[in-house]
Amino acid sequence: MLETYFSYFKRQPLASIPVFLTLLPIFLIWRSKAYHERTFLILLIYLVFKFVLDFTMFEWASNQRNTVLFYNLSVPVRYVLTSCMYYYKLEYKQQKTWLIISMPVFVGFSVWDIVQTNPSLLDLHNHSMVLYSTTVESLLMLFWILLYFYNTIRALRIPNLLNYPFFWICSGLLLYYSSLLFIAPVLHYASKWEEWMDIGILYNVPYVFESVSIILFSIGISQYSDSSYAK
Amino acid sequence: MQNNDELKLVLLIASIAMLMMAFFVIMFVMYYQKKKFEEEKKINDIEKNYNRLLLDTALNSEETERRRIAQDLHDDIGTMLSLTKLSLNQLSKLIVTSGDDKEDAIMKKSQSLVEETILHVRRITRDLVPTTLERFGLMEAIEEFIHKLEEDNNLVISFQSSTEEFPRQGQKLELTLYRIMQELVNNAIKHANCNKIDISLEIDEEIIGLRVTDNGVGFDPDKIKESNLAGLGLLGIESRLAIVNGTVQYEQPTQGGSSAIARIPVNPASGNKPEPLHPFRRERVNI
Repeated sequence: MLETYFSYFKRQPLASIPVFLTLLPIFLIWRSKAYHERTFLILLIYLVFKFVLDFTMFEWASNQRNTVLFYNLSVPVRYVLTSCMYYYKLEYKQQKTWLIISMPVFVGFSVWDIVQTNPSLLDLHNHSMVLYSTTVESLLMLFWILLYFYNTIRALRIPNLLNYPFFWICSGLLLYYSSLLFIAPVLHYASKWEEWMDIGILYNVPYVFESVSIILFSIGISQYSDSSYAK
Repeated sequence: MQNNDELKLVLLIASIAMLMMAFFVIMFVMYYQKKKFEEEKKINDIEKNYNRLLLDTALNSEETERRRIAQDLHDDIGTMLSLTKLSLNQLSKLIVTSGDDKEDAIMKKSQSLVEETILHVRRITRDLVPTTLERFGLMEAIEEFIHKLEEDNNLVISFQSSTEEFPRQGQKLELTLYRIMQELVNNAIKHANCNKIDISLEIDEEIIGLRVTDNGVGFDPDKIKESNLAGLGLLGIESRLAIVNGTVQYEQPTQGGSSAIARIPVNPASGNKPEPLHPFRRERVNI
């Protein structure tokens, strides 16, 4: 079993690195007990969910099986969990209400997208990546991140952003979703078991920025301390 | 195939552009936040200095006004009372020769009232302008203040100093410490229902500490601050301290009562001797 893992790791290092790199922020949250703060608790849940799913995908991929179904399922869950962090970070009630509304709407939309792109859901071998959901998710997440940045600049409550953990998390998410925005619709055609479209180096861009975002999460979490965060 | 290559190129350019925008946003947020904070800090500093200047001017005006009133009391009312006393003495001699006992008794009562009024005027004048403070320094002024209070009230007031010869400080600093001490002691007498007050004065190379402790009912300083009950007295103390970069801390000793400690950075007096208050000068004083 380990041989197949190593073999896959050697063949797809850029896709495999973020799977195991996810363990770093999980460990840092656990060590610094950052989960006492609600935002970090949600981040921890998201990272654990991501690790379990990514590892399952890694396992399936190393055994030459189509993993797109897991990716498709992860899209709505990922949006709900990451946007949930912003629910606690945004200050205005109106913004929170819109964020809450966006969650079920997006979940519904992504379920529709999964069914639309894969009329035969049980045919796992020919499962295709969602066509619109990832792009819509990226747009929505970029909107919430930029809104949070705007509120932060206006409120002037954080003296030094570099010491502020959530700023690093936002930066990581901003880079990840920016890298995904234009590539996501093409991934629908590229991530197929048969008759797939070759997009070359672009296929690895989301993986690279996934790793970058995880490293930024880790930097942010390492800045966390109970007392300073309370301020 | 060519279309595919073009698509890849377009996607690559779009993704690089998007990532550059994301980097720019992150950098912009960091830079703008830092810049705005610096500006905000500058505005706060200007506001703080302006408020300090206003407060300083207000306190200077108060001291000038005190001196003016003290001068009027001393020069006008004091002189008139002395003349009245002189006239009454002359009248008293006439009444004694006339031999009317009733008139003599009224005269003696009038004389005693005038004398008492003269004493009151002197006391008020001294309260208004602490001449001892400017002539002899803080320790003597506090001792004099205690002596007067013990005469008038049923109180035991003790005073300790960490040094026998308390070095003279700047006029403003000495007056600030004296007024704070006055306010704290008056507060203890008015509100604490105490019968013992301890005043201590400590000085090291950097800080002068003035502590006033009473054995009265005590108060919770946090509650007073939260409920905006800090009267003009406590606010006045904080205002005076803000001008000389001082701080005040209120404590509740375990044995009961309350304790306040004011800390002010040392500011030794310059070579110039303080100008004497008597005879009073009409000019505005800058403390």
